[in-house]
Amino acid sequence: MKTLKITIAFLLLFTASHAQAMDVVELKQSNSNKVVFKVRFMNGAVADSADKKGLTFATASLMAQGGAGGISYADIQDKMKPWAAGYSVAVDKQVTTFTFQVPVDFVDEFYPLVKNALLTPDFSEKDFSRVMKSQQNYVDQVVRASSDEDYSKFALEDQLFRGGNMQSLLQGTSASVKTIGLDDIKAHYKSTFTRNNISLGIAGNYSEDLLKQFKADMAKISAAEYTPVAPSKARQADGIEVEIIAKDSAFGSAIFTGAPLALTRADDEFAALMIANSWMGEHRKSYSRLYQKIRQTRSMNYGDYSYIEWYSNGGRHQLPPSGVPRTSNYWSIWIRPVQIATQLQSQYPELADIEIGHAHFALRLAIREFDLLIKSGLTQADFEATRTFLRSYSKLYAQSPAQQLGWLMDSKFYGRHDYLTELDALLKNTTLEQVNIALRKHWQTDNMFVTIITDISEAPALAYSLINNSPSPMSYSNLVKSGLPAEVLAEDEEVAVYQLNVKTVNVIKSANTFQ
Amino acid sequence: MKIVTKTLVMGLMLLLLGNSYATSKDTAGKILPYPIYQQKLANGLNVVTVPVDSPGLVSFHIVTRVGARNEVEPGVTGFAHFFEHMMFRGTDKYPKEKYSAALKSTGAAANANATQDRTAYHMTGNAAKLELMFELESDRFLNLNYSEHEFKTEAGAVKGEYTKNFASPYSQINEKRSETAFTTHTYSHTTMGYFKDIVDMPNQFEYSKVFFDRYYRPEFNTLLVVGDVTAKQVNALAEKYFGKWQPGSYKSVVPVEPKQQETRFVHLQNGTIPAYFSMSFKGPAFSDTKIDMPALDVLASIVYSNTSELYKKLVIDEQKVRFISGGAGDSRDPGLFTIHVSMMEKDDMPYVMTEIKKAIAKVKAEDVDAKILATTKSNLKYSFAMGIDTPGAIAQSLSHYIQLTGDPESINRLYALYDKVTVENIRMVANKYFKMEQLTVATISEDEKGALK
Repeated sequence: MKTLKITIAFLLLFTASHAQAMDVVELKQSNSNKVVFKVRFMNGAVADSADKKGLTFATASLMAQGGAGGISYADIQDKMKPWAAGYSVAVDKQVTTFTFQVPVDFVDEFYPLVKNALLTPDFSEKDFSRVMKSQQNYVDQVVRASSDEDYSKFALEDQLFRGGNMQSLLQGTSASVKTIGLDDIKAHYKSTFTRNNISLGIAGNYSEDLLKQFKADMAKISAAEYTPVAPSKARQADGIEVEIIAKDSAFGSAIFTGAPLALTRADDEFAALMIANSWMGEHRKSYSRLYQKIRQTRSMNYGDYSYIEWYSNGGRHQLPPSGVPRTSNYWSIWIRPVQIATQLQSQYPELADIEIGHAHFALRLAIREFDLLIKSGLTQADFEATRTFLRSYSKLYAQSPAQQLGWLMDSKFYGRHDYLTELDALLKNTTLEQVNIALRKHWQTDNMFVTIITDISEAPALAYSLINNSPSPMSYSNLVKSGLPAEVLAEDEEVAVYQLNVKTVNVIKSANTFQ
Repeated sequence: MKIVTKTLVMGLMLLLLGNSYATSKDTAGKILPYPIYQQKLANGLNVVTVPVDSPGLVSFHIVTRVGARNEVEPGVTGFAHFFEHMMFRGTDKYPKEKYSAALKSTGAAANANATQDRTAYHMTGNAAKLELMFELESDRFLNLNYSEHEFKTEAGAVKGEYTKNFASPYSQINEKRSETAFTTHTYSHTTMGYFKDIVDMPNQFEYSKVFFDRYYRPEFNTLLVVGDVTAKQVNALAEKYFGKWQPGSYKSVVPVEPKQQETRFVHLQNGTIPAYFSMSFKGPAFSDTKIDMPALDVLASIVYSNTSELYKKLVIDEQKVRFISGGAGDSRDPGLFTIHVSMMEKDDMPYVMTEIKKAIAKVKAEDVDAKILATTKSNLKYSFAMGIDTPGAIAQSLSHYIQLTGDPESINRLYALYDKVTVENIRMVANKYFKMEQLTVATISEDEKGALK
């Protein structure tokens, strides 16, 4: 019987060294046709000062999308074109990660570009102007108009971390981006992209000489003393605090809700909570509880999931990406857009008299499912099935060389050596009792933040319904209602009046967010 | 007589064993560095295996060559995509709950998606679970069975998907662009379909049975397995689980789009995102034997990519444009070559469109630089090689070409054609396809009317 050996296969080949006080993850793969370099700095958006939010993002963007080593941005693109090589940067709250990839045939010609981008970025006025216009566009318009789902997630973080350094969008705010000057970027580069907070990764078919050169070059980056800024902790909500963000032309209600979580991957107990979370709301999986209750049985939306750590770009990714490690954590529920009253009224004559759409009911249903789980715990059968699933599924997280390198570098962030291998052992040894202890210890639904992006027509009635804990009977079309089993309709009646500890509901105009 | 008998026996053997064809173990000179093994079962189902050194890992895809393109009847736009959802609703052997539990037990990353030309079902996971994957897939492809209530219920999830997509003005303009550029062909609607048809989906239960009966047949499907497997193993599993699948008789006839005679315009009034416009020219259908599509791909990279003169002028130097890109989407029937432009300021749209037209006039009239042509060909080849670093990525790439021609070897033929593209070919396709009377311009801005003429 074959078993999944990917992790083991690359484990044998990777080593970590601490030469020149830099963490280096080496993942030699002699049969690979490429070389991947990763350079990570422990800064991220929390390194931005309060009045310059978006500065780390701007600095990193200018390094990755500007001239370097006296070679213009356009010329760099021209040089890389025949090789199909490239590089990009990902900024998150606590880290900034550059990734460079090149076919092994051209690695020697490509490498100077790696060095230039990190050590001698040009920071020209012209590149600065282009990059900042794009960043300003994003915070002024794009973030509110691209995906209501991502918007609701960013808005939830804005609530959870309000007043702290984790609050802001990575790109900053409309006001802060305007204040960022080229001198700010040059100073930020010197002070926060340093040899004291750098870590390196290299994967693929590279030579020992190249590795040596890479380490030696990266040690030449700024020697400034830098102490990573501690991220602010998620706030404890007072009851359920809801913010409804009203848009002019939303088609549905996009919902995110969350509360602080004391665990991260650094804690062994995280594995136990991972089993409970996977059963409840594994990302994009049709067999988890929330999905089955809200989408599959009731036809309310496209999907419903829960999380115990930040999950980047959930609408696009099927598997969790690397590069977003965080020590300040929260758990959350994602309810994808549900119908609003005006849409339902226009679609079904039998719903002509409804006053609100499905958001209140969906929120009640999701929170009730958490309450039921907290009360009764996972069953032995569900525990076994979910643990077995996760032990196989987590081996799919790191398939490509870049993914493998990313997960190994994230491991070190959490003080681990190889998290995915360690996770498998933790899952293997986790018991049902530990899972049920963990979920009761770390999950509660009395105090949460909720963000709902919805249409301006829906907001007032939804706000009224939430703050008054008004009954919110599910408004099915006759087509669906006629075939629903009696037990679903009976459960609906309980859900419709399920008491949520809502203490605050504020309605905010979309234009006033992230200002 | 002896000869006749021998021929007959051999014919029977072929019928029993299936028709092994086009299997190529020699990868010399081919873009895909792995051999592609193909075996056609007696029922017409093509089985493709690509062994790759990926210990314990396998990616299993079923490509159903049915998409929005096949939605020829009125009132059923979006049905191929909706049907993809229904395929997760269970069978007699694996009712919904049992199917969910079995799927979970594979520990795989499994999902499906639909496009204008195909529907694809995929699982990537533990190679030791391959037989279970085959069993689950064969059961639903051969024996799908759902109640009318489940059918009606799933329609709500599709509406939810449309609802989430609708938040993006780009989704909205995409719908408008399609229905403006095409008047007759089914590419006039998006894969999601029209909202009115989505709202009406719960009423189409009977049609869903017809749809399954027509298309979920061996001749419309290809099995593809990439990873830690052998062709022998996959062919045996295919025979065991899909050998009894009965072929159908339905022939899909898609209406032909008449020749466009004048530039068309469509506008979306929306001031929530930076102003945007697109220019879509009628392009060719995908072909792995004609030079047109490969030449257009090379042209797209030279004229519209981030190393193009246009990009350098409009994005880097003048900074009037946030991004520009252009290219022809591969499609089974003639589709669109679309140039997308996101603006810094809406008032610059006419100027930017003029610059794009100048670039088009230039590529029609002048030869592209031979060095840039060579650079671009190199980029295409290395981009592909860099992208195929997991079994899932390889399978996804092959799946793309299977949907277009039914034959994964198209990938090798296409890249061989890229090598043959000449400066003359590029001028030829520029003149053949960049015709203003076959252009559709779509705009988004805060203004009531589009600013481009």
